[in-house]
Amino acid sequence: MSDVLVQAQGLGKSYPKAFRSSDRARALWRLLFTGRDADSVPVLGDVSLEVRRGESLGLIGANGAGKSTLLKLITGVLTPTTGTVAVHGEIGALLELGAGFHPEHTGRENVVMSAALHGLTGAELRAKLPQIIEFADIGRYIDEPVKHYSSGMVVRLGFAVVAVLKPDLLITDEVLAVGDEAFQKKCIAWMQDYLDGGGTLILVSHSMYHIQKLCRHACWLRDGRVEMSGDVFDVTQAYLAFQERKTAASAAIDHASAHDTEFSVLDVAINGRAGELPVGIDDGEALRVRARLRSRDGRVPAVVVGIVRADGTPVYGVSSDMDGFVPARTADGDFACEVIFERHGLLPGSYSIRVHPMDPEGVRVFDTMDRIVTVRGNSRELGMVRLPHRWLAGGETAP
Amino acid sequence: MNALALTTEFAVRELRARFSGSFAGILWTIFQPALQLATFAFIFTQVFHARIPGSDAPGYLSFLAVALWPWNAFADAILNATKAIQDNAALIGKVALPRTILVLARVCASFVIHMLGFVVIVCVLSFYDAHVRLLTGMLPALLLYVPLFALALGISLAFAALQVFVRDLIQLLGQSLPLLMYCAPVFFDRSIVPAGIQPWLSLNPFTFYAEAFHALVLGHGTLALTSLLWALLVAAVALLAGYGLFRRLDRHFEDFL
Repeated sequence: MSDVLVQAQGLGKSYPKAFRSSDRARALWRLLFTGRDADSVPVLGDVSLEVRRGESLGLIGANGAGKSTLLKLITGVLTPTTGTVAVHGEIGALLELGAGFHPEHTGRENVVMSAALHGLTGAELRAKLPQIIEFADIGRYIDEPVKHYSSGMVVRLGFAVVAVLKPDLLITDEVLAVGDEAFQKKCIAWMQDYLDGGGTLILVSHSMYHIQKLCRHACWLRDGRVEMSGDVFDVTQAYLAFQERKTAASAAIDHASAHDTEFSVLDVAINGRAGELPVGIDDGEALRVRARLRSRDGRVPAVVVGIVRADGTPVYGVSSDMDGFVPARTADGDFACEVIFERHGLLPGSYSIRVHPMDPEGVRVFDTMDRIVTVRGNSRELGMVRLPHRWLAGGETAP
Repeated sequence: MNALALTTEFAVRELRARFSGSFAGILWTIFQPALQLATFAFIFTQVFHARIPGSDAPGYLSFLAVALWPWNAFADAILNATKAIQDNAALIGKVALPRTILVLARVCASFVIHMLGFVVIVCVLSFYDAHVRLLTGMLPALLLYVPLFALALGISLAFAALQVFVRDLIQLLGQSLPLLMYCAPVFFDRSIVPAGIQPWLSLNPFTFYAEAFHALVLGHGTLALTSLLWALLVAAVALLAGYGLFRRLDRHFEDFL
């Protein structure tokens, strides 16, 4: 139905090691005569994605995850080491800052050059130039050399060019971060307009707010690979949870290394899904945590199940011995149990479900296993859990 | 993308960049080689008492000027265009564009400047030296700039690509280009060179052009058809080889810039 603008297949990029001049000379020799590539450092591997006309894709990931490299591959600035990328349609790209402006030339000259690079010359350019200058709104600076610009002004000018030229596919790399509040709003309003009008967008940003506001799909890159891609809310929540956990984990690293193995957790399935991937449940859907445990000496362990926010803030915790429940022995000598939170009351967001075995006396905690659960929904309530409540009109008294 | 418009845009930008901020601006295109000519003229006519052999020989100044401007176009183009890719690293890293244009634009800029200078200086010389022929000499001589341009472009494409990988190239070039000039019959006539060395001069790609400009503009010596054909062949081969090398390395530029 809708046509594909960008099709990337198994895309990979390695940068050659070229610190010393002898490396460069050796690389040249190989490229010219042996056809082999030089020694290289992989930065991106096996990325496949597809962007259709009218779609909006957000790229997220930590610094150095390969986001900019991916964008450069799509725009054709870089040549992929492996895989292919096909682009149909005109691309307008704002890669990093500057959009290729020459610092010695004035803003106006640079705009003319940018427009020429987009294939615009002569009468068309003369018609669009005033619009570009008006959109950039940088006053008299337009006739000053770009080296005198603040980074915000450079971005304004760069954005103005693509905004007026309206390419089929707009690629922006962290451009919103530098503009001031007013310009950010203007850009976002423009991008929303552009998307409503059938434009296609690939946006890189560290602001999940911008990503969620502008994109319907998201792709999370981690160490040069696609960690997760799909609906923007799922991906951003998983990414944020990952970030929060990383912060929490570095704080608790000593604590974790000292765990005993008298009792251990074999696996935890959330709503029937085992493995390690984050699990999404809908707001209102029951939460079922099933754990399999192993006991070294055959004694029956007690089980603690805790729900914590991704940053480690506890929400709720309960153990089997508190409720007088005993896990059942399975056929292969391990233990299993399942706890069901029928109405869990968790507000939309990301949570970590922790399962620990305890000795039968319910005194010592052993092993830990974490699973990520994302509660989907779009409630406007605040906090972590929904507390049962009711409202009374003024003057009434509670029965 | 309109490659021609883009090349023009880059060439204009290149010209503007060369002269922006200087008082004389575009006039430097005449001043600079004129000063160069004056210096050489002083050294060779006043110090060394150089003469062009032959009873009906042109004045030394005209002899020198007629080959010096084409040489300047050639050398200036190569020297500038070799750094074209390296200097535009910021642009290449942000915008996908055919990189050959960057090299082409610099070669064009150099040729525009020095062809303009050539026309001016030949017109001025025609007042002082009866050997200088304007209509029958200078106009056909302008056609010689076509293969010279192709030769310069071919060499520039190859060097610009290699410069990305081996940064020493530009230093080497700054040293070796003058050597090439002194080994071409720009300052002297081939006939005063020892007979054993004379044929070797033909190996210098600029020898043909120096002698051809002398022959056409000043009527000094003859322009043989075979040497013209050889020169055209060399220019065509240089252009194709340079382009081939450039395209081979093109896709890896960004990795090494």
